[in-house]
Formats: sequence, structure tokens, C-alpha cells
Amino acid sequence: MNINKRIIRVLVAIALLFLALASYLLWFNMFRADEVYTNSYNQRQWESERRVKRGNIYSSDGVLLAETKVDGDFRIRNYPRGRLYSHVIGYSSQVYGKTQLEMSHDSDLIGKGNISISLNDLAPGNDLHLTILDDLQEYAYDQLDGRNGAIVAIEPTTGQILAMVSLPDFDPNTIEQDWVDIMENKNSPFLARATQGLYPPGSTYKIVTSAAVYENGRTTETFDDPGVFKQGDVEVSNYGGEVFGNIDIKTAFEESSNYVFCTLGYEMGAESVKSEAEKFGVNKSLDFDIPVSKSEIQYDHMTDLDGALVSIGQGGLVMTPLHVAMMGAAIANGGRMMKPYLVEMVTTDSGTIIGQTRPSVLYDSVGQACAAYVEDMMIGVVEDGTGTTAQIDGITVAGKTGTAETESGEDHAWFVGYAPADNPTICVAVVLENNGTPGGRTAAPIARNIMRRFLSR
Amino acid sequence: MKGRLTSVNYRKPAYLLVLLDILGFTLLFTAKEYNLNVLYTGAAVLVLFLIMYTVLVAGRMGDKFIMLMVFMLISIGVLLLCRIDLSYGFRQIIWILAGGAVFFIAYVVYYNVKIWNSFWYLYFIAGTVLFVITLVFGDTVNGSRNWVSVKSLSFQPSEIIKILFIMCLACYCSGSWSKPVFGKVSPKWASLIITYIFVGFLVLQRDWGTILVMFSIYLLMIYVYEPDKKLLLMNIGVLAVIGFLGYKFLYHIQVRIANWLDPWSDISNRGYQIAQSLFAIASGGYFGRGLGNGSPYYIPEVHSDFIFAAVCEEMGVFGGVAVIMLFFLIAYRCFKISIMASDPFDKAVSFGVTVMFALQTFIIIGGVTKMIPLTGITLPFVSYGGTSIVVSFASLGIIQAISAKTERKEAADNEYQ
Repeated sequence: MNINKRIIRVLVAIALLFLALASYLLWFNMFRADEVYTNSYNQRQWESERRVKRGNIYSSDGVLLAETKVDGDFRIRNYPRGRLYSHVIGYSSQVYGKTQLEMSHDSDLIGKGNISISLNDLAPGNDLHLTILDDLQEYAYDQLDGRNGAIVAIEPTTGQILAMVSLPDFDPNTIEQDWVDIMENKNSPFLARATQGLYPPGSTYKIVTSAAVYENGRTTETFDDPGVFKQGDVEVSNYGGEVFGNIDIKTAFEESSNYVFCTLGYEMGAESVKSEAEKFGVNKSLDFDIPVSKSEIQYDHMTDLDGALVSIGQGGLVMTPLHVAMMGAAIANGGRMMKPYLVEMVTTDSGTIIGQTRPSVLYDSVGQACAAYVEDMMIGVVEDGTGTTAQIDGITVAGKTGTAETESGEDHAWFVGYAPADNPTICVAVVLENNGTPGGRTAAPIARNIMRRFLSR
Repeated sequence: MKGRLTSVNYRKPAYLLVLLDILGFTLLFTAKEYNLNVLYTGAAVLVLFLIMYTVLVAGRMGDKFIMLMVFMLISIGVLLLCRIDLSYGFRQIIWILAGGAVFFIAYVVYYNVKIWNSFWYLYFIAGTVLFVITLVFGDTVNGSRNWVSVKSLSFQPSEIIKILFIMCLACYCSGSWSKPVFGKVSPKWASLIITYIFVGFLVLQRDWGTILVMFSIYLLMIYVYEPDKKLLLMNIGVLAVIGFLGYKFLYHIQVRIANWLDPWSDISNRGYQIAQSLFAIASGGYFGRGLGNGSPYYIPEVHSDFIFAAVCEEMGVFGGVAVIMLFFLIAYRCFKISIMASDPFDKAVSFGVTVMFALQTFIIIGGVTKMIPLTGITLPFVSYGGTSIVVSFASLGIIQAISAKTERKEAADNEYQ
């Protein structure tokens, strides 16, 4: 009898093994299958491609950005705008796989589930309609003028991306010929700087710090600025070594005093600085149409002194240009950060809309009064602060400049701003990588030109 | 308990099986551009099933459900083999025919010969001879030297050795082998030495999957039968040490572990096979791409070790889970036969065979789904392969004989009362 009892125990153990097999299989299908399936080594992806004509991609002003030409058994993916969208649309290559929108919206583009009418015809894929204005995209591209960096223009009230440029870039039409050159290029042309480049945001981050100042009720304080913030072994001087003397917070913001904001950050403490950053989405992953790097404060344990550095957008803080644009747009939109998106709608080849993106709130970052307080100071920056080069005739512009120090190499020039201040329709973030100039001189005029171009449409 | 085995209706599931065969092969017929050979193969499976099952039921040859479930698996297997390559389907029919014959031979011989329990040394010698033949004349296939070819016919001796090994262990477990060997070595230690000799041969062949199966059979048999728990613990300890040393020093094992942890980094080479298997499973989703719609031919060895990946691709994860459940139900019925068996040797043999069947299934399904490291062994009754099918049928014949003995003894007891 004892033997039978042990046999039953073995039976139970075997039952558990089989149960584990079945659960593992279900788990795999639920959580791993998508990732495995989209591996570029999986030939099945190209199989479905052979039976369809991959869909087109259009800009919001109706310009054709990507199409597929069928030549017998060959499919040639053609990008009429060449390099202009290389970091937005990516490429679709049988050899090197797919990236960006070509990858993330693959099932839309190959029209999973579409059936061709007659047996010999290719089933049509679905078309993507982007939020990007081709006209503005090209203008922004020219404004960057070959310099390494990124520009992101976003509509603050909806989160629609109006333009998004990263340089250096590549030509998706000739990706297979150029592959080795691009891979070996030390400027990393494959890095989509706007969404995956992580930069210290520099003084543009004082936008978030001043929101924290408002919420901590310290708006009325004045400081005696000696030009240098010294605490322990940390020493931070104002840009250009300026000494501002006796100033209030508004002037400190407009003139971008590092002393005042370091002091405020230090006194508010690490926790306060960190929680304000998180209200604006730092340390949180962002779900976007294409892959985005996570903006974060890179400390295991953050001290108050680290908090002082983060308050001026330095230290362990890194952000993507897209995120800096969203930060400006949140203030423009009364403290509400909208979820950014690139694909406005998906239609069939005959034009029937089968998917449409609705604007949605990502974070209620700050209250309206707080946003108004920060906006007032941002208007001051453009009126008579560091960002006067962003002024547009007859339109009130709000903005913030930044000049971010890097550990290696020259400073990054930053500007984030929006217009018109009373009813914002566009927010632009510009970063010029290792440009070595102050943001007010180089980045701000670019942002102004783009806003002016957009508003005069 | 009494009478339960016979009282359940076995006709309904038999009809379902016939329905599955008709629908499955008709569907494949349309998917394969109306190739009539598909229908012939399907008809052959159906006829083989009906003949074997009729004989089984009419001859009162023990449990009536195992054969139903086995033919369910065989039908799924042949269906997929035809789908992958019709010639595999054809040849599988021939193997099933041979397997069916072996099934009845094994049944009759095992049922009538009553002295199986006194020849442990014969099983050992036969096993050793087969091993030596493999080492001398063997071919290396997929890194394991475990195939022997005689003219155009090739077979895997290790499949047969597993049965011999179980018979040998059962002699000791049932207590019928009680005399010390050479007057000194007690059966407990002799069987341990035999196990290690067999495992040693398998190491030389680099047949890790069979090592795993055989050693687990040994461990579970002594868990059930050996009152001395120290022996079990000691063996587990030795297994752990050998496993660790193997991982440290044997390149083959390191590669397998590395491929299991991350097949993606060397996807074009060593990770290719498992990656292709995972692609197939991932593309199937819950309900599969449909019979004939998938692309299982991307997977190397899809007709033998990797057939489960093809099941998942074309019949979906639910199809895969259903197959797993079929295997479990077969194992469950076999365990039940082992528990009900009154003869100690029969009990031990049926237990060993059941454990072998269940573990083999777990190891290969776990392997192709990347749940555990991959070791190449066949999926019983589903994979293509002569030795696999014939030996699986032979062990089924033994199980049925044991089950028939129990049933007839019960019937006789009832009559007597």
C-alpha cells in the first residue's frame, strides 16, 4: 500500500510538470509572443508582405511620405521625401528589418486581416496619416542646417507632433547600400536624437524647478547672488560668470541665475525636486508611436546637493528633446501634459477611417495658477531676458533658454518656447548638440523661425 | 473502484476520433491543392485505428482509453507530417503498421511469459551489447552518436535500451532479484552500478536527453521502492555534482545552457533552431494559423523533435495545450494501471514505462518551447521516426498486457464470489 501511495505522489508531481508546461505556453503567448514574432530573423513577417502591398504614409498636409512599388516579386519601399523622415518613419528592409513607424505600425501597414477581392490581386495594406506638417518639417530641417541636434514641435492642447527632426540622419531609400558606412559613423546617424537622445536639459529645466518653487510657496523671496553657488565640494557659477547681486525669483528666471535655482533646489531638498520631476514624467516610461528613451534622474541615492544640480538641469538629470518639448507644452496647456502622438489616423486604401487617435491627458503636472506663474516668467525671458532673440512681431512668445554643460566636449544649446502665449498653438524645443554657444543666441532664433512660420500659415 | 475501468462508455470518444480524422484530412486535402494522396493517408490511419481498436475491444485486451488517446496523437502527428511533407506521412503509416504488429506481439508475449522477473542479467547484457554496437557502428546525427544503420534501415538502439533498463530495474524493485551478484554485491548496489554503466555509455554518445530520462526513471523507481532513503539522496547529490562538473567542463552542455538562456545573441548559428521554433509558436497565437496556412518548414527537424512547434503554429497554443493534456491523460491511465496491478513485477514495469513516457514528453515539449534547455528526443507517437513509433507501441503493448491481467483477475474474482 505504501508503494501505491508513493506512486500517487509521483503522479501528482508529473501532473504539476504538465500543468507547468501548459501555463508556460499560455504565458509565452500572452507576454512574449509579440516581441519574438517581430524579430527580424522571423521570415514569416516577410511572407505576409508578399501577399500585400504595404500601405502608404502621408503627412497631415497630404504629402506622400512612403509608398511601395511592386515589381513582379519585388517590393521596393520608396520614400519620396528622402532623409526628411528617417528618424520618424524609419525604414523597412528585407535585409535589415524595420524600425520606427515602419516597425511599430507594421500590422496596420500590411493590413493584417485585409482580403483581396480577386485571387491574383495583392491585398492592399492600410495607410497611415501623420500629425506632422510636411511644410514645417522641411522648414525645421533647413533651420537645423546640418548641425547635430534635434527639433520637436508639438501642439500643446492635443499632443500632436507637428515636426520632429533629428540630425545626423540617413537616407532610408539606400539603406542597404549605406548600411556599413552608417554603422561605422561615430556620429551615430541611426540614433533618433529627438526621441532617443538623452541630454542634460540645462536651464530649460528651471521651468519645472519654478513650478516646485510655486508649490512650496517661496515665490516672493529675494536673493543676494554672488555669482557662484558653493556647497561642500560643489561649485556652480552663473553662465558667463555673471554676478546678479540682489534679485527676485522672476529676474533670476529671466536672467537664468544658477545661484538662485541651485540654492532653491538645495533648500527644497532632494525629495521635493524628485517628486516635482516625476509630476512632469521624469523617471517614467512614455508610450509613444515610436521607441522613446526614458528621461530620468540617474542617482541610486539622491542627496540635497544632487537636487541642487538637478534643479538647473544638470547633474544626473537627462531628458529627451521630445520630453523637453512636452514640459514646455504642459505649461502652455495650463499645467496639463498631453500624451504626444504621431499617427492621427489609419485608413484603408479606399479612404475609410479604421483608426483615429484622440488627444488624451498624460499627466496633470501642475495646477492652472502654477502654470500661469511659470508662464509669466517665461514671457519675461523672451521680452527682456536671455531669450529676446525669440521675439515675434505682434505675438507674445513664452520660452526658456538653456546652455547645458557636458562632461566631454562643448555645451548643448537649448531653447523651449511656445506661442501665442495667451492661446498657444505650437510649442517648440530645440537642442544643438555640443554646439558650444548659449541657447539664447543659437537655439532660440531657430525656435522663433519655426513658430513664426507655423503661425503665419 | 471495481469495474470502473470497463464501465465507462468508450464509443463516443471513438466516434470523435473518427470525426477528427475525416475533418482533418479533408481540410488538408483542400489546403494541399487536392492531392488525393492526403486522403489515402488519412484513410490508412483510420483503417489502422479501426482494426486495432476492434481487436483490442473484442479481445478484451485491457484499458480501452489509452489506445483512443494514442490514436488521437497519431492522427495529429500524421496530419502534420503530411502537411510538412507527404512522404513523411506515407512512411509514418508504414511505421504505424509495424508498430501495430509489434504492439500485439509485445502484448501476447508479455501476457503469456510469466518469468520476466528472473532475467535481470539478460536485460543488462542485451543493453550493453546494443550500446557497444551503437558505439562501434553508430552514426552521428545532430551531435549525438545514437543511430545505427543496417543497409537502408536505421534505428536508435537507445530507445530499446530504455525498455530493457526498466525491465532490469523492475526485477530489483519487485524483489524477485534478491540474490547478491557474485555472492557479494547486493541487488541494490548492482542496479546502481548498471545505471551508471548505462549513463556512462550515453555520455560517450552525447545523448543528454536519454541520460535525463534514464536517470530520472532510476531516481523515481528507487523513490517508490527503496526503503533506504539515503540511496536516493546520495544519487541526487551525485547527479548535482556531475551536472555541475558537466556544465563547467563540457562544451556541449555549456552551449545548450547558453542557448537556453539566450538564443537570440547567436541567432544565425547555434540559436537558430530554438529561435525558429519560438517564431513558429509565437506566430500561431491562441488558435493557430490554421492547418496548411503556417510555415513550419522553417524549423529544422520539424518532423521529429520539433513537431510540437508545428502543432502550436498551425493549431495554436490551445492546440498545443490540448496535446499536452492528451499526454497527461495517457500518463494518468497508465499510472492507474500501475496502481491496480497486483503482481509486483508488473507494477514496477508499468510504473517505469509510464514515467519514461511522461518525462520524455515533458523534456521535449519543454525543450522546444524554451522552458528548459533543449535536448533532442522524440515526442512519443507524434514525431516521425521508426524506432520511436515501434518502441512506443511495444511499451504500450506491455502496459495493455498488465492492464488485461488485472481486469481478467478481477473478473475471475467477481465470478468466484
